[in-house]
Amino acid sequence: MKLLIILAWRNLWRYPRRTSIILIAIAIGIWSMLSMSAFIRGMMEQHVNDTISNFVGHISIHAPGYRDDPVIDHSMPQPNEHLLHLLNEKVWAARVRVPAVVSSERETMGVTLLGIAPAQEQALSFIADAVTDGRYLNNVEDKGIILGRKLVERLETGLGKRVVLGSQNHSNEIVERGFRVVGIFDSKTENIETQFVFVGRHIAQKMLQMQDNISELALLSKDRNELENLLQKLRATSPDLDIQTWQTIAPLARVIVNVFEGFLFIWYFVVFIAIAFGLVNTLLMAVFERTREIGLFQALGMKPHWIVGQVLFESLFLLAIGLVVGNLMTWVTLILTAEGLDFSRYAAGYEMAGLSSLIYMVLNMSDILTANMLIIGLGLLASLYPAWRATRYVPVEAITRT
Amino acid sequence: MNMKQFPVICRHLGKSYQQGKITIPALVDINLEIHKGDFVCFSGPSGSGKTTLLNLIGGLDTPSSGEISLDAQRLDKMNKSALANLRLHKIGFVFQAYNLIPVLSAQENVEFVMQLQGLNSARRAIKARAILKEVGLEGLEKRRPGDLSGGQQQRVAVARAIVSAPSLILADEPTANLDSHTAETLMQLLHTMNEEHGITFLFSTHDKLVMDYSKRLIKLRDGRIQSDETQ
Amino acid sequence: MAIILRLAWRNIWRHPRRSGLTIAAIAFAAALLVFMITLQFGSYDMIIDNNLKVLTGHFQVQHLGYLEKPKMRSTITDAQKMAEELRKINGIVDIATRANAFALLASEKRTYGVQVLGVEIMHEAKLSTIPGRIQSGRFLSDDTAQEIIIGDALARNLKVQVGDDLTLLGSGYDGSIAAAVLPIVGIFNTGMPEIDRGLIEIPLTSFQEIFSLEESAHLLVGMAKNLDHLETVLTQVRAKIPDSSLVVLDWNHLNPGLFQLIQADMINSWFMYSCLILIVTFSILNTFLMAVLERTREFGVMLALGTKPLSIGQLIMLETLLLTLLGLGIGLVIGGSVTLYFYVYGFSYPGMEEIGAQFGLIDVITPQLSLFAFMLGPTIIFFFTMIVGLYPALRIRKLKPVDAMKSV
Repeated sequence: MKLLIILAWRNLWRYPRRTSIILIAIAIGIWSMLSMSAFIRGMMEQHVNDTISNFVGHISIHAPGYRDDPVIDHSMPQPNEHLLHLLNEKVWAARVRVPAVVSSERETMGVTLLGIAPAQEQALSFIADAVTDGRYLNNVEDKGIILGRKLVERLETGLGKRVVLGSQNHSNEIVERGFRVVGIFDSKTENIETQFVFVGRHIAQKMLQMQDNISELALLSKDRNELENLLQKLRATSPDLDIQTWQTIAPLARVIVNVFEGFLFIWYFVVFIAIAFGLVNTLLMAVFERTREIGLFQALGMKPHWIVGQVLFESLFLLAIGLVVGNLMTWVTLILTAEGLDFSRYAAGYEMAGLSSLIYMVLNMSDILTANMLIIGLGLLASLYPAWRATRYVPVEAITRT
Repeated sequence: MNMKQFPVICRHLGKSYQQGKITIPALVDINLEIHKGDFVCFSGPSGSGKTTLLNLIGGLDTPSSGEISLDAQRLDKMNKSALANLRLHKIGFVFQAYNLIPVLSAQENVEFVMQLQGLNSARRAIKARAILKEVGLEGLEKRRPGDLSGGQQQRVAVARAIVSAPSLILADEPTANLDSHTAETLMQLLHTMNEEHGITFLFSTHDKLVMDYSKRLIKLRDGRIQSDETQ
Repeated sequence: MAIILRLAWRNIWRHPRRSGLTIAAIAFAAALLVFMITLQFGSYDMIIDNNLKVLTGHFQVQHLGYLEKPKMRSTITDAQKMAEELRKINGIVDIATRANAFALLASEKRTYGVQVLGVEIMHEAKLSTIPGRIQSGRFLSDDTAQEIIIGDALARNLKVQVGDDLTLLGSGYDGSIAAAVLPIVGIFNTGMPEIDRGLIEIPLTSFQEIFSLEESAHLLVGMAKNLDHLETVLTQVRAKIPDSSLVVLDWNHLNPGLFQLIQADMINSWFMYSCLILIVTFSILNTFLMAVLERTREFGVMLALGTKPLSIGQLIMLETLLLTLLGLGIGLVIGGSVTLYFYVYGFSYPGMEEIGAQFGLIDVITPQLSLFAFMLGPTIIFFFTMIVGLYPALRIRKLKPVDAMKSV
């Protein structure tokens, strides 16, 4: 065994140029696989995180029917003590969330009204940190309103000015209330800026005449992967409520993840095939030019499967070195792009696709393993062909040929 | 008569090659017995079949007809793997050129066969050094074949061939690439090995020098034995 | 020339396995690029086409600043007359006049804020896919008809069906209250959530009455016969619009996201293509190099016989060229066949429909059948392999006959 390893290693460096060329091919291959995967993962993570912080949370609780028809009729009481017990130590927020119309003196726009408890949203959604002009809401009784920057422009209003918010109450009457703009928020996506307006929850409840009822309850769990367990417990506690994870609330995020994962896998195979051509050809050449030597091995009594082993070891070394170099290249790439890849020139395009234009590469351990194992495994499989060719040379021919 | 006295026995041995549609007979009805401790030389013009005969005896090639045995084992009945095993334990080879594995040093080349046989590394190193000393290569153990002269390379090959104490050493034109002085030294070395260790040697050559050293000279022509003289 | 060609051809087949693998590598890359690029371009065509056809059109005439702030008062006076004038321009498919407002739309049970579009029945059908995407009921019948069509998501939210009445409440041009009760005659589905959830259409003349617009409108939407010749059409359009308060905007300005989406996708795609081409190039570089190194002795003999190093270099390049062309040819045939197959049957993958709906990819993608899309990938591969082929060819110049012949 040790002998085979020594032979394979030394044979590798008989033609340093040839070895380097194939190493470069393997390294570029694994680098492209990993950076592609890191890029796409980053994009997906971003998308999922954005989805979650756009008021979805990890788990959302609604009254039955709300998701289909998000209006005041489908509201629910504040969480009872059983539910509260489960929510203990979790980050959660209860909101009023209904369609509304906002008007300034000049314009009127359709929006989504969010009546929030400002402190609850702090760790849960983006809004607490997004107010760039004026101030965030103080408490549930705050009489001010926060609008998105784009909406402020559309309405031709501004900080300190008044807007009127209108929506429906339970008896389908339009109820209206005036608010002073106390804060303006910015978002990565223009849609968010024009879609949401924020007021104190009690004020919204008073305006809509809905007592202390709420439209939704969103919660974050520390670990996104333990959601299923928590979901079961919540459902058991409150069988009369509609309790779903973000994957159900925002199905697109799930689909995007699936499609991209499928795409990555196809890309892995494409890269592998491109590498395989070079690898097999290089090993075939190595075997061919070593015909005489392989003949000598056989004459000296080396068994055929040892010769296969020798070629496979050579292939393994090639692959392993190439992979190490490629992984290092990826590592460097990740360090160089730690600040995020800025595609803000195409921001509007990314927004259309529901993505952020500042992408942080994210490399999963499982992606690294998949890519590397795939190349090593399939690479060795492809090397069986040249290895098998090597055993086919009859010793006599091999030695007597000049 | 004890079978051990005849390490090699050929009976009606024949070998032919297929070249396109033509069948070319390389060996025809060879009957031969080789004694232990012999120093035999096959000679004859190119195409006379001497290399083919050597290859058949060495288990590098399989006969088309007849039988061939080494130490009472029928070579014509063995598979690839068994032949490889036989070559490993019973036969040493010295070829005219490209004798050594280029990526291994002199000592590693000698150790190679022992390694295949499964000897531990301490014993291998001791044996290899001793043998290299015996063939006069002390101090050159770490050199790779590319850094050795032709004569030195052949000595390494001889050292490798005898190190595992085979029944038989086959040497195909061992002096072909050497100058006459180096060839003379090599033949003396092989002769000494034969005398002192009693190893059986089979040569194929048309070098007069090799024939002069041999104890038995078998001349081949057109795949048949023309003469068989003990000198 | 003939003899050097024959020589090169035979040299290639001295190692059929090796040459075969090299050709296969080139063919693989070429076929993949042909397929991916035609599909990519096809999807761009489709994204542009589908997006623009829903509402945007190829270009629009609007009041200066209307794009940023679509205000009720930023109008085009006598819009329909101007549209009639513009329709005379050669190269224009049609022009449609539209008026636009925000209003509250109330059913018996629900009220939502929506975008109201006043459309010219005759012309809208040629410019927008909405008239063709009516799911139940029918499209608007006449410019003066008192009726309304709405998106399916909105219909669901309002809990209404065809035949129900809707109350429209907004503010008119003069600041007065604009109100009307209109029956739903049709429900449409474009696949684009924002439109299906937040847009309704009513006949233009009715719109002008309800919102006190008189003869004014907000947009002239135009479609050119050929998107590639849009600029020449726009020059003529601009010439016909004397009023400096009006602007002519092309689709790229109207929908900057679309163009940027394509550019962003281009960057990602080309990163992938470059990696693929690089890997394949390095994979085959070894073959080219070996073909020269193992023939050192042969070249030595040729040099000794008086062949010029340049001729040997030419021979090498010719071998490279033949190998590459063979590979590209096979790749084009395979890639072309796959492309043609999907051109006929359409290309689709699971999940595409959900994602695609956002940017107007409805169900299947049809690859773009153009010479450019076909040849782009193979041409790039060709240049790369030729550059790589130069390296071994140049090494010939270092050969000295005596040394070369010594080597084995």
